[in-house]
Amino acid sequence: MASKGMGVLFLLGIFAVTVSQISAFPTPAEDDKAVVYNRRLTEERPIQEQIAEADDVKAAVESADTKPAVEPKEVKEAEPEQENDDFTLLKSLAEGQRSKETNETPVRESLEKEPYFPDESDSTKNRRLVEDYDSTKMENDDPESFRQVDGTPLTAEDIVQKIATKIYEEDDRGVFDRIVSKLLRLGLITDSQADSLEYEVAEALQDLITKNAKNNEIEDLGEDYPVTRGDQDDQNPDASMDVTGSPNRRYDEEDDDEDQAAIDDDVDRGEGVDTVDNTWDRESEGEGEEEERSEGERDEGNELSPEDGLQDLQYFPNFYRLLKSLDSEQDTQERETLITIMKTLIDFVKMMVKYGTITPEEGVSYLENLDAMIALQTKNKLGKTLGIPGIIPPTGKTPEDDDNTKAEAAKMQKEYENLKDSTKEEAPSTETRDHPGKSEIYLEAIRKNIEWLKKHNKDEGKDDYDLSKLRDFMDQQVDSYIDKGIIEKGEGETIKRIYGSL
Amino acid sequence: RRGGGSSETMNRFVSLVLLWTLAVLSTTGPVTGAEEGEISFEYHRYEELRKALVSVWLQCPSITRIYTVGESFEGRELLVLEMSDNPGTHEAGEPEFKYIGNMHGNEAVGRELIVYLAQYLCNQYQQGNESIIDLIHTTRIHLMPSMNPDGFEKAASQSGELKDWFVGRSNAQGVDLNRNFPDLDRIVYGNEKEGGANNHLLNNMKKAVDENTKLAPETKAVIRWIMEIPFVLSANLHGGDVVANYPYDETRSAASPDDVTFKSLAKSYSQFNPVMSDPQRAPCRKNDDDTSFTDGITNGGAWYSVPGGMQDFNYLSSNCFEITLELSCDKFPAEDTLKTYWEENRNSLVNYIEQVHRGVKGFVRDLQGAAIFNASISVEGIDHDITTAKDGDYWRLLAAGNYKVSAYAPGYLTVIKKVAVPYSPAIRVDFELESLVERKEEEKEELMDWWKMMSETLNF
Repeated sequence: MASKGMGVLFLLGIFAVTVSQISAFPTPAEDDKAVVYNRRLTEERPIQEQIAEADDVKAAVESADTKPAVEPKEVKEAEPEQENDDFTLLKSLAEGQRSKETNETPVRESLEKEPYFPDESDSTKNRRLVEDYDSTKMENDDPESFRQVDGTPLTAEDIVQKIATKIYEEDDRGVFDRIVSKLLRLGLITDSQADSLEYEVAEALQDLITKNAKNNEIEDLGEDYPVTRGDQDDQNPDASMDVTGSPNRRYDEEDDDEDQAAIDDDVDRGEGVDTVDNTWDRESEGEGEEEERSEGERDEGNELSPEDGLQDLQYFPNFYRLLKSLDSEQDTQERETLITIMKTLIDFVKMMVKYGTITPEEGVSYLENLDAMIALQTKNKLGKTLGIPGIIPPTGKTPEDDDNTKAEAAKMQKEYENLKDSTKEEAPSTETRDHPGKSEIYLEAIRKNIEWLKKHNKDEGKDDYDLSKLRDFMDQQVDSYIDKGIIEKGEGETIKRIYGSL
Repeated sequence: RRGGGSSETMNRFVSLVLLWTLAVLSTTGPVTGAEEGEISFEYHRYEELRKALVSVWLQCPSITRIYTVGESFEGRELLVLEMSDNPGTHEAGEPEFKYIGNMHGNEAVGRELIVYLAQYLCNQYQQGNESIIDLIHTTRIHLMPSMNPDGFEKAASQSGELKDWFVGRSNAQGVDLNRNFPDLDRIVYGNEKEGGANNHLLNNMKKAVDENTKLAPETKAVIRWIMEIPFVLSANLHGGDVVANYPYDETRSAASPDDVTFKSLAKSYSQFNPVMSDPQRAPCRKNDDDTSFTDGITNGGAWYSVPGGMQDFNYLSSNCFEITLELSCDKFPAEDTLKTYWEENRNSLVNYIEQVHRGVKGFVRDLQGAAIFNASISVEGIDHDITTAKDGDYWRLLAAGNYKVSAYAPGYLTVIKKVAVPYSPAIRVDFELESLVERKEEEKEELMDWWKMMSETLNF
């Protein structure tokens, strides 16, 4: 817990956990509505007590510079030139950030649960955006004092910010653990409150990072950051993990070439991907909305060296470890299967982002969650950890209700299917209640068919199979099967969409 | 809220995929072959069955088609997956084959084996297995995993692993489908004695079926199916014992006319099933009488009498030769045994389909080359004729030997040919039949010519 490396990993675990709880990545922008905090924390414990406890913990760690021009609450900006490898990581992730601006990210889920959350801090948060920050600019007050400059007691939110700052600066999750364990031991907070606090701190931390990135080496690209992490992965199979410099631009340029190469072979996509990428770029530029690009977050596996064309998968440290653990010969097939699956998922998310079905933050959060899930599931199913013992599994969402899962996944599948049709702008259809297992199995079956067709035509020296004819034929068959009661309407739609998206 | 919904959705989807992935990882142990690794050996309830068939179709749409022959009493589709190089059409000269499983709803192994077979054939086809490719290109294979889906649901719904010997056996109306077919055995036995048709014994079949109130919907659907498609060879999958059973099912002292052929067909299944063909195999239950079993096969009637069964109905109302395969001592065994049953039966199942390419086959046409539908093909010494299908094509299954085969149609002159038939493949024998009218015309012409010649010579 004390080592830096571990700390970062825990950090990332927090992120994963956090993002699993939220629907979008926090923006450096105002959205402070985004920062949800469990008010009970404030109400049940006297601020001063909290402060006292926190002080104890933070005493040694504090490097208090004050930041003159900024509201105390806002600024937990850390050293931009953090040497620490892990921080480079964070930074580089952050650099990937393209912040469009000002608008808030979609309100986080948890927010909705607490509609009474006061937004008194709004105005202060708004200012965060514009400030450059470096180590010299810290909040005015001593972070440990837990008091605002003007002497008013800090709200719970302030505390969250302060803790987040500390963690960011120290690059040590232990800070949080120490505080929380103390609070728990003293009975000042309950476990669930500790969990909430954790999430909040993680969010705030994320804010810091993104803000950091934005203020730091932001290249004014003048265009939206065109890709989510998913894209990044596929874009740089050969590029190193280093994402300093103008990552976005580079990615963008390389997008078309590498995307094609990396994706087409591994995932049966057909020719559509490139087109989609281009389309998406244009679309996103035209959109003018803001989208968080919390790209940086994905760079979790920075320390893993690219191998075997798995570069784009190295952003998933857990997955990567899982792969590495499947080194033996007989596992080759599983390995390949897994890689294909991951790449498919990455593409999946990428497509969804491109078509605006989800925001990039959401895309990022999905993928983060994915990695964390891998750790959890690997542990549960295979009885082995992937070398990151501290990762906190996403709670509360995972194993719930299988039926829900299935319905949701089917919905997701439909959303995915919608993407390729650029004429469709509809929101993901929610009418069908297919069992998700079907969608996946059907997708797999269709994929096998396409693969066979390609191979078959290649072997026989024919030209590529006629996709549109096949699609028409399948559409026709599907309709007739629906009429006869062999296929359900929803399944039919799914199948048609899968074919439509090829 | 779109964002939130998507996040949750994604989480679940992701977790599902991961679970699946990891499940695959953790369950994939040593497999006997690459093929086995692609099949998931589990029981399929109705929805899962439907999904499995649809998946095979999606994977191999150029060689498969799904259709339904009708609905069960409770409205479930009696699904069939057809496999051929031109699904949906009867190609002239291409024999039709069927497997029907699970007519007793609690005899579950056959149902699953047919599903695995569908997956297997599709996979093998795509992986370039030449004999499978050839089989699919030269045969039209119809796979009906379950004739009694209602019964299966009932049987499968029982809790615990031990399933009752009877629950789910009959259809939802309580009808035992394998006693529900019109009993033609008695008719043929009578005809044998007193003379009369030896085939196609159901007069006015369509009418008889439509108006028969005793027939269960599943039975009716299958009878119509048999009438519509010119099936050549078939097997009916059951459970509760391990043997390949052939006609006649209703006890009597004599064997069927095609006894030799049937024995050969039944053996062709049992010989590849190590359990079925094991001479040392103990009976399924201590007091079972399996004295009639030899080499894994048995005459039905010699074993026990089954009146109104589907097997005999096929033989006596149509051209189709059907045997009954009993595949497991346990009617509804534990799911983890399914893989073993597949391994025991896979080769038999494939090889039995290949048996459809045996004996004699060909076309019966008139002198102008037009097909003659419903012509009779007779084999000397075998009191069972078969008929040609709409394209004039016929397939007469025969064990190896020397035969005299004749083709006959009303208004045509019979043609007889001698044929030496190997074990396989089928020998092509075509018939061009001269109609009686044509012959008369010919004779008339000859007469005119002679008269002309005579008159010229003799100066009439």
